[in-house]
Amino acid sequence: MPGFEEIYSLYSPQIFRVCMGYVNDHEQAKDLTQETFISVWKNLASFKNRSKISTWIFRIATNNCLRALEKSKRVMTTELPFHLPDVPPEETQEDKLRFLYNCIAELEEIDRIIISLVLEDLPQAEIAAIVGLSNGNIRVKIHRIKEKLATKFKDHGQFE
Amino acid sequence: MDNLNDLKAIWLSAKTDDLPSSTEMLRIVKRFRDQKLRKKWMVIIMAIALAALMIAAILFNKPTLVTTYIGQVLAASACVVLAVSNIRSIGRFYKLNDCSNKEFIAFLEQTRLNQLYFYKNTQVWGMGLSSTGLLLYSYEFVYQNMLWCIITYSLVVVYILVFFFVVRPRGYKKEAKKLNATMEKLKELSNQIK
Repeated sequence: MPGFEEIYSLYSPQIFRVCMGYVNDHEQAKDLTQETFISVWKNLASFKNRSKISTWIFRIATNNCLRALEKSKRVMTTELPFHLPDVPPEETQEDKLRFLYNCIAELEEIDRIIISLVLEDLPQAEIAAIVGLSNGNIRVKIHRIKEKLATKFKDHGQFE
Repeated sequence: MDNLNDLKAIWLSAKTDDLPSSTEMLRIVKRFRDQKLRKKWMVIIMAIALAALMIAAILFNKPTLVTTYIGQVLAASACVVLAVSNIRSIGRFYKLNDCSNKEFIAFLEQTRLNQLYFYKNTQVWGMGLSSTGLLLYSYEFVYQNMLWCIITYSLVVVYILVFFFVVRPRGYKKEAKKLNATMEKLKELSNQIK
């Protein structure tokens, strides 16, 4: 079993990106990443290897994201004042990233989690174990989310 | 979508260099104490200590009136009700170590239902027991002096009435509104995960 510092170095960038995909807010994503690793540190000794360590950590992180809805209204999609711009984003990498986050923010909460895990290159079986759905269900959901994202990107002049 | 790899490239370009280093994070986590659970533990310890105090008072103080005994037993029972409800709640938190999003949402829903039940039932029972206990317990100390009796009982009754008809309904209304809003959001999440 790897030590805490090793786990942190390995997973913190991934966890931060997943949290960022969910909340679309840099500071809140950092807070959620920190909360995740506090839970990891507290429970590492009692982790029983029933699942892969990455599955366990992503479960903690995504559950923290879901819980954030109780703490902050910023996460609630229904209250996001955000609308995608009518003009295509500029070509810098940062603008493209912001545009991607904004597209993801328009998805439902669970879809945001699923696509973030897909973009982190997690296998479908692991995503299914994290979310708690069957493999078949996850496959269908991923397909639909990709279609939704593709439509959003195409509507704004991307991927033509 | 053929361009998933493009999306992955954009996704991975997110800057993560302002995250704390592993050494800094280790310092942060060691400093951290779980405030919420600590508060629950404090309530449990206080409730058990109070119940033990009541029982010790019965054993060593030897009251002369039966009302004092009943009052102490009722007040101790209220403390036990409070301790048990908090112990059950903590037990649920500790079991929640490795669960999927679906299980976690179900846990949150159950927690909010338990909270509503606490405000609607357990709190009423607890306060009812301790208020009755207080009234009966005070009787032995004041029954020989009518003036003290009237003053003490008036104060206790006013306190109980204010709590039951002003403080509690206000607190309940505020909490219930918040909890119902959360429940609705959780139901929405639960539907997304079916």
